[in-house]
Amino acid sequence: MYEKANDLFGAFVAGQVGRRELLKRAAALGLTTAAASQLLNAASTRAMAADYNWQAHKGTALKLLLNKHPYADAMIADIEAFKTLTGMNVTWDIFPEDVYFDKVTAALSSGSTEYDAFMTGAYMTWTYGPAGWVVDLNEYLKGKSAPGYDWEGVLPGLRASTAWSGVPGDKLGGAGSKQWCLPWGFEANNVTYNQKIFEKVGVHVPKNLPDMLEVAAKITKDAGGPYGVGVRGSRSWATIHPGFLSGYSNYGAVDFTQSGGKLKAAMNSPQAKEFTKLWVKMIQDSGPKNWATYTWYQVGTDLGAGASGMIFDADILGYFMDGGDNKEAGHLAYDAFAANPAATEPTANVWIWSLAMSNFSKHKDATWDFLQWATGTDHCMFGARKMDFVNPIRTKVWEDAEFKTKIGKYPGYLEQYTKTAPKAQIYFTPQPMFFDLTTEWAAALQRMVAKEIPVDEGLDKLAASLDKQLKENGLG
Amino acid sequence: MARIEGQNSRLPGILRGVALAAVLVFFLFPILWIFLMSFQTNETILRIPPSLAFTPTLINYTSLISGHLQTSAGSLDLPFMHNLFNSVLLSSVSVIVALILGVPAAYAFARFRFRLGEDIAFTLLSFRFAPPLLVLLPLSLYFKDLGLSNTYTGLIWVYQLICLPLILWIVRGYFEDASPDIEYAYRVDGHSWWRAFTRIAIPLAGPGIAAAGLLAFIFAWNNFVFALILASADKQPVTVGALAFVTASGIQYGQIAAAIVLSIMPTLALALYAQRWLVEGLSLGAVKG
Repeated sequence: MYEKANDLFGAFVAGQVGRRELLKRAAALGLTTAAASQLLNAASTRAMAADYNWQAHKGTALKLLLNKHPYADAMIADIEAFKTLTGMNVTWDIFPEDVYFDKVTAALSSGSTEYDAFMTGAYMTWTYGPAGWVVDLNEYLKGKSAPGYDWEGVLPGLRASTAWSGVPGDKLGGAGSKQWCLPWGFEANNVTYNQKIFEKVGVHVPKNLPDMLEVAAKITKDAGGPYGVGVRGSRSWATIHPGFLSGYSNYGAVDFTQSGGKLKAAMNSPQAKEFTKLWVKMIQDSGPKNWATYTWYQVGTDLGAGASGMIFDADILGYFMDGGDNKEAGHLAYDAFAANPAATEPTANVWIWSLAMSNFSKHKDATWDFLQWATGTDHCMFGARKMDFVNPIRTKVWEDAEFKTKIGKYPGYLEQYTKTAPKAQIYFTPQPMFFDLTTEWAAALQRMVAKEIPVDEGLDKLAASLDKQLKENGLG
Repeated sequence: MARIEGQNSRLPGILRGVALAAVLVFFLFPILWIFLMSFQTNETILRIPPSLAFTPTLINYTSLISGHLQTSAGSLDLPFMHNLFNSVLLSSVSVIVALILGVPAAYAFARFRFRLGEDIAFTLLSFRFAPPLLVLLPLSLYFKDLGLSNTYTGLIWVYQLICLPLILWIVRGYFEDASPDIEYAYRVDGHSWWRAFTRIAIPLAGPGIAAAGLLAFIFAWNNFVFALILASADKQPVTVGALAFVTASGIQYGQIAAAIVLSIMPTLALALYAQRWLVEGLSLGAVKG
């Protein structure tokens, strides 16, 4: 019976048996879901081991630095599969997100050999990469990958967004780019709305930014408590990167222009001014009262508690608020959002949680095995089906029937992904002063929303200030 | 007339009572609110508008103590009680070490004049001036070479940057205020220097030592950055551990409130205990007058 079951799952992994057939025959063998899941994992492990020497670093111990996140939880839940596959031991340190990047920066800048791999955002590698703290993974991708790794199966926008030459202003994923990290999970910025509030007020899902202003204003006026639209507003780079930059890019605006190897701030271009005026008015009319303190957490909490009608933020923020003990779980829905009425499709800026290899690791080849396992199809599939490992980075996972059924329970989620995916990428210009300059951008936005300065004047002053700083640092 | 005078004499008392009540409400209401939050679920905490009427639950405390937290992202393991243990261990041992080293040093600085004495005392005080982030990176390199990274010993050593200057300078002041004549009289009776120090000087400076110890404990307890940079997740104090309730999938307000209540308990208990001792110490110190 055990051998029969093993053969069956082996045949499924080899593609000789279809999914329906597998389920039918597993049921005939009297297998429980848990036993079937275990056998499938074991069969996948055997199949992976067949064409690559996963045991080359058997006995090696790796240590990871992780952020407290559902992606890390999914990896930990599946780590036994990696240990069985490779014979390696893996331990980890998990830190809360508020302090996570301080820990990473301290570990890397002190040349600590403690951690072999760590979670990072793509923006952070614009500092880590040129500083020599992380390994350019092209060397591994081009010659040391397992045959079944399928790097091409990772969404192209994500592959490009995690690669950069290190030259300020150079296109992400362009010529001479170094692969500073591997995408692991990502979030695109779209609209998540509360169907109950929308029905109560009698409004439709906004189609563009001017429409969003009207819908949000009506919610604020008629919903009897909830405000119209939740967006971030704290004095941080994180205020700019979600909805704001997605809409900004959709209006054809860019953050910097490059000419002769020099960067010039473009926040005061006509497109940028047109978009920013609408954005500022939207927050003034229909945003949260304490908008200037709003981060990911407040935007999400308000949506989950029914304090806001919609958010223009990460799609997975809506997804997380659509479960657990959130009051509005089950009432949320999702839609792709192109801010510019003249645009044909959304241009969602993305945040990509990625995995990078520390340049100070003493087990680089073994670490590479971990990286390709953790970002490989099998683990991504496991996380997406069984855990909250969304959004998956691989096309194959998005096409998986089980995942589709799971995500299909979230109204509009799959559709918003399909519409957004073609142009989902990082829309910032990569440069080493990213965090300082983008934080100043957020501070300027706060002054405009507080009516301390008109938008036109505020953006002109912002661009002049950023140009001065770029020049002082040899970038402008 | 007498009635009006009686009313007039009661008025300041009433006003004082109202003012006291207003001050108490102002300062204690946030603590009361946190205490109430610790008995509620996220759903009731986030009700709009907020309400004082709710069905109390112990789920926040049980999840903290059992180490399993149920969130919208599923079940998560939380090492909060281990963080609490780390805080108790790091803070109390650091203060004990600082007292053992700092009290004799404070006595020496107060009673004896020796070469470079003031310079040494000021150098020790200057440890408090240095921004922690400035010294942490070089320290982490030294710790790596010395094998002290990620050890309780290393952290307790670094915590002396917080505790030792505080204890030394506060206790020194108390020793200086106490008249040396009592100690001289005791020594004329044939007692040794050590007995004079332990039987006379330390009891006289008792309130100061207690206050300095308590203050050092609070500063050590509230420290955040030393363990974060110099140690792994399993050595983190409660200040870092409490942030684990702020996750990508939401903020667990109930658990945060319960964690606050649990984490202020040791400091509160120590403060209450030391308060009683402080009063005793103060009355003992009255002999010098």
